[in-house]
Amino acid sequence: MFDLRPVLFCVGWLVSVLAAAMCLPAVVDAAHGDADWLVFAGSASVTLFIGQTLAAANRLGRPLALSVRQIFMLAAGGWLAVSAAAALPFAFSAQHLSATDAFFEAVAGVTATGASVLRGLDHAPPGLLLWRALLQWLGGMGGLVMGFLVLPTLNIGGMQIFRLETAQFVDRVMPRLAKVMGSILALYLAMTVLLTLLLWAAGMSRFPALLHAMTTISCGGFSTSDGSIGHWRSPAVDWVILLGMVLGGAPFILYLQLAQRRWRAALRNTQLRWYVVTMLVSAVLIGFWLYAEKDVKPLPALRHGLFTAVSVMTGTGFATLDWGGWTGFPMAVLLFLSFIGGCAGSTSGGVKLFRLQILYATAQAQMVRLLMPNAVLLPQYERRPIPEAVAESVLGFLFVYSLSFAMLAMALGMVGLDFVSAISAAAGALANLGPGFGPAVGPLSGFGGLPDGAKWLLAAGMLLGRLEIFVVLALFYRGFWRP
Amino acid sequence: MLFIDGFLLLILAIAMGLPVAVDMTCQEGEWPAFFFSMAFTAFVGMALIFGNQLDGWPVLRTRQAFLLTATSWLLVALFAALPLHYCSLRLSVTDGVFESVSGITTTGATVLRGLDHTSRAILIWRAMLQWLGGAGIIVTALTLLPVLRIGGMQLFRLENSDKLDSGQPRVSYLAWKLLTIYALLTTILAVTLTLAGMTPLEALCHAMSSLSTGGFSTSDQSLGHFGEAARWICVLGMVLGSLTFSRYVQPWRRDGWALFEDSQLRWFLICAAVFSLLITFWNWAVGDMGVYEAFSHSAFNVVSILSTTGFHSIDYDAWGGFAQITFFVLAFIGGCTGSAAGGIKIFRYEVLFAMTAVHIRRLIHPHGVFPIDFNRIQVSEPVLRSVLGFVMLYFICLATLGSLLTLCGLDAISGLSGAASALGNVGPGLGRLIGPSGSYHEISDPAKWLFAGGMLLGRLELAPLLILSSRLFWRG
Repeated sequence: MFDLRPVLFCVGWLVSVLAAAMCLPAVVDAAHGDADWLVFAGSASVTLFIGQTLAAANRLGRPLALSVRQIFMLAAGGWLAVSAAAALPFAFSAQHLSATDAFFEAVAGVTATGASVLRGLDHAPPGLLLWRALLQWLGGMGGLVMGFLVLPTLNIGGMQIFRLETAQFVDRVMPRLAKVMGSILALYLAMTVLLTLLLWAAGMSRFPALLHAMTTISCGGFSTSDGSIGHWRSPAVDWVILLGMVLGGAPFILYLQLAQRRWRAALRNTQLRWYVVTMLVSAVLIGFWLYAEKDVKPLPALRHGLFTAVSVMTGTGFATLDWGGWTGFPMAVLLFLSFIGGCAGSTSGGVKLFRLQILYATAQAQMVRLLMPNAVLLPQYERRPIPEAVAESVLGFLFVYSLSFAMLAMALGMVGLDFVSAISAAAGALANLGPGFGPAVGPLSGFGGLPDGAKWLLAAGMLLGRLEIFVVLALFYRGFWRP
Repeated sequence: MLFIDGFLLLILAIAMGLPVAVDMTCQEGEWPAFFFSMAFTAFVGMALIFGNQLDGWPVLRTRQAFLLTATSWLLVALFAALPLHYCSLRLSVTDGVFESVSGITTTGATVLRGLDHTSRAILIWRAMLQWLGGAGIIVTALTLLPVLRIGGMQLFRLENSDKLDSGQPRVSYLAWKLLTIYALLTTILAVTLTLAGMTPLEALCHAMSSLSTGGFSTSDQSLGHFGEAARWICVLGMVLGSLTFSRYVQPWRRDGWALFEDSQLRWFLICAAVFSLLITFWNWAVGDMGVYEAFSHSAFNVVSILSTTGFHSIDYDAWGGFAQITFFVLAFIGGCTGSAAGGIKIFRYEVLFAMTAVHIRRLIHPHGVFPIDFNRIQVSEPVLRSVLGFVMLYFICLATLGSLLTLCGLDAISGLSGAASALGNVGPGLGRLIGPSGSYHEISDPAKWLFAGGMLLGRLELAPLLILSSRLFWRG
């Protein structure tokens, strides 16, 4: 067995960071005169104690260097530990959530999923609301770190192709990589600030504006109202949130390129092109359906269509209309969109567009090969040939993704969900989207009514989706534990 | 190529003789429709044969083989719709084509209602179509698909070629042998079904449609109309129909049952058993059924969907969420390669699972070499690629078909499950409309055409039809 100490050391620090984050809601609640500040302060001290104990007990006498196995452990263990710690304030707050509900809410927050068991958000204490938004914001950051550092290093699901992309910025790997990561997180912060200002300008008051900015850029989807974004009834707010979701689901490397004025490289990004086209096409389809079937006027229909399509595709889960009640054609489109997801290296979830691009290129090469068996074909991605290993991991990823989906849906059926709820909730959990279709799991109805078994299953599904499945599967391989 | 098309039409015309004969004996007045269709089909067939006569054994190039696969199924489906259009049912062109495509692709989705009172000639013609379709796909899978290297089928070219020394003539020898076994099994099933209490005609129809994993029945309640014994015999027929047929040629070798050495067969049976038990448990725990009753119904319906037959003994759509999802998932699995069953097929799943396992190992040991075996033959890189390509293409087709169907006005459950069911050649979908208790009668005409297209696409393993739409195919 390999050395677990560095892993525990890192987990300890991650948990400590979370403890520091808990102080924010404590301060807000205290300022607001809400008794919940004690819960947050208490949870913060407990979490900090555990985190620091872990870190101190596993201190290393040498600089930190992780092996492949240790990174796997750290990725899986880190998300799990942070989720568990983040559940503490929920469990002990005035809302009195059960252990199941608290863990579900925490996982939904940390994985930026946006499925909530809480109702009556409009009257919830501000500390709690801030904590939910903060979790998603941190989760979105975690997603970015996964997408830029962890998954490419571990060769998960074809993400190794982006190792090359980041490597363009790199001379000596580690320090420069850290610098890239740092600038990306700085951009993330800057965009949050920008969105807050825009939302404020669009008519939200300051506090909800900040919270929504946090949950939008992280493609999270927690709102401060039971009516989600529809509560504000303001096209301006809709457009700003829409912009935030689009930014959150686009490849963040693009912003770095723009910031460095490398316009050419930014324009060449084909993933972005696919992202925009898919988004627009489905938005028009849904908008047309709204116009034709629901008698919405053309322009609002287009806005709602775009909003819903983007919200589902990027795995955010906001709603201006109760799309969970739609049936037929838009439901099919949204269901497929929830599988597609956003771009790689963004805060969104799902299969991600670059995998579809690779899939498309490989399938096309295959068709040609049927006719010309001996032709030498190199399917390309971003004008570079796709290495065989990448194509294989992409297809392998798609397979385990569908398999996890089928098994999760069946398990949800077993604990009593109906067909539509089970299928859409399973898709929503894996894609870190959150809400699905039907009264039990719709975007405006909350997940509170589900049986406990379903909540655990969905929480597992969310973590699985955020860890891109293979990180978890690898832990079950016997060879992983052998030297 | 046209020569072979003509030849197939001639076979179809001969097959129409059976309903004519049946109708002559029971005097239900359907024979003119069948007789004239037969004459017309035979005429076109003859014309094609004599217009395109070849010397010697026809040798096909890749493009011709693709075109042949696609055109032969299309032509046969169109001509088989003739008697349905002109018979006393007066089906519209859409309905006629839907029914005949559903028959010839062994899908088993029907637009007819009141089957219990439909004339016998029509019942036997529907069963006949499925039986021919089953034979057709077994022969296609043996001869054409491996040559075309579709979805990893080239692996089976290797497997067969150790038995064939001199190419084509041996293939046709093997094909004849398979067809004999197919006919023999049908006879045995028909006889046992008669013994189980069906009338001879019902027995023959069900023998034909269960061995071909088709699923047309002679009653609106499908097998729910018949007894327990008949159901179990049909289970046997469906299982037989979804195993690799070339394994029946030499089931016994000196060192044991060659039949059971096939890993596909083992996985198929394991799948059937596991899913049956799961559903049994569900029905027993949630649905207030006795253990045996639950098992009997679960096993029948699970095998029916897994083998892509589409019989039902009861309205399983009403069994609740878990059962619905399971049946939805089952429609994607399907039988073994080289059988009459549709779906993605067990062999591809074996390869996919093996690949995933290798992938996980490679995450930990980046430079390890892990070969993938199937039935002790190493699976080569191109085979892996085409298996993966096939599976992904399958899901893309599913998504496209599903969205188009909902665009035609179906609800999402019907659209998705219907698309899965059409591509997998299963038959019934889920929901009130096209579920086991419904029928395809009520859906709109464009949706019917889409379904028929989906069935053909699925039956031909996607590529032969899709490739016809590529520009490259028609260029030099």
